[in-house]
Amino acid sequence: MKNRLRVLRAELDWSQADLAHRLGVSRQTVNAIETGKYDPSLPLAFSLAHTFKRRIEEIFEAEVKR
Amino acid sequence: MSDAPTEPNPTQAPVEPLRTHPASPFMRTESNVPPKVAGIPGPTPPAMRVQSTWVTYRSQIEIGLALLAYLMLLIGSVTLLRANPEASWRYIVAVVPVLPAALVVYLFVRRLAQTDELQKRIQTEAFGFALAGTALLTFTYGFLEGAGMPHLNWTFILPLMAVLWGVGTAIFTFRYR
Repeated sequence: MKNRLRVLRAELDWSQADLAHRLGVSRQTVNAIETGKYDPSLPLAFSLAHTFKRRIEEIFEAEVKR
Repeated sequence: MSDAPTEPNPTQAPVEPLRTHPASPFMRTESNVPPKVAGIPGPTPPAMRVQSTWVTYRSQIEIGLALLAYLMLLIGSVTLLRANPEASWRYIVAVVPVLPAALVVYLFVRRLAQTDELQKRIQTEAFGFALAGTALLTFTYGFLEGAGMPHLNWTFILPLMAVLWGVGTAIFTFRYR
């Protein structure tokens, strides 16, 4: 899945560690989500959406396989 | 989440004027403090996240102490049994080291439960790797024993599994980097 996490984070001037601290996960997890190597669980995706005050669809975008 | 569009976009909220000043020796520009955005509190100040060694490494310290207790009881137990091989209480003394070992298991499971979802996935993959790797290696050596290689004590299996678990953790941690 593609995501806009890095952009949203940069807009708020948060480091990966800041975001990780807010979400209650490790910095490695934030990094793995940002680079698209790990897709977060539904609760973590909702908690990301809540943190950025956006809808999940505004943060994540499914890569459509054709 | 459906009410999100009605709220002002936090990224378009006015930036604190203090932030817009050019760097000047006469004016404090607070460059390290992120801008205050309406609706979203800024990052927690670093002072809030400074943690003591005990808080950060509590599980590691507890597991280390339990392992130390295990080693001490193991050495004590073996020494006692060597000195009294015919004693009636020898079976009880022989299993005493299992108590701190059980504590290690408890602390380890508790530590696993505290990790976040990516760490849990990495650990699951590492355990799978360790289990499959141990099965493969022990089967291989079993066949070699059948062909005449010396018999190995099966307490070697656990250290082998632990080593493979460590290798697996390194591999899968690197994969999600």
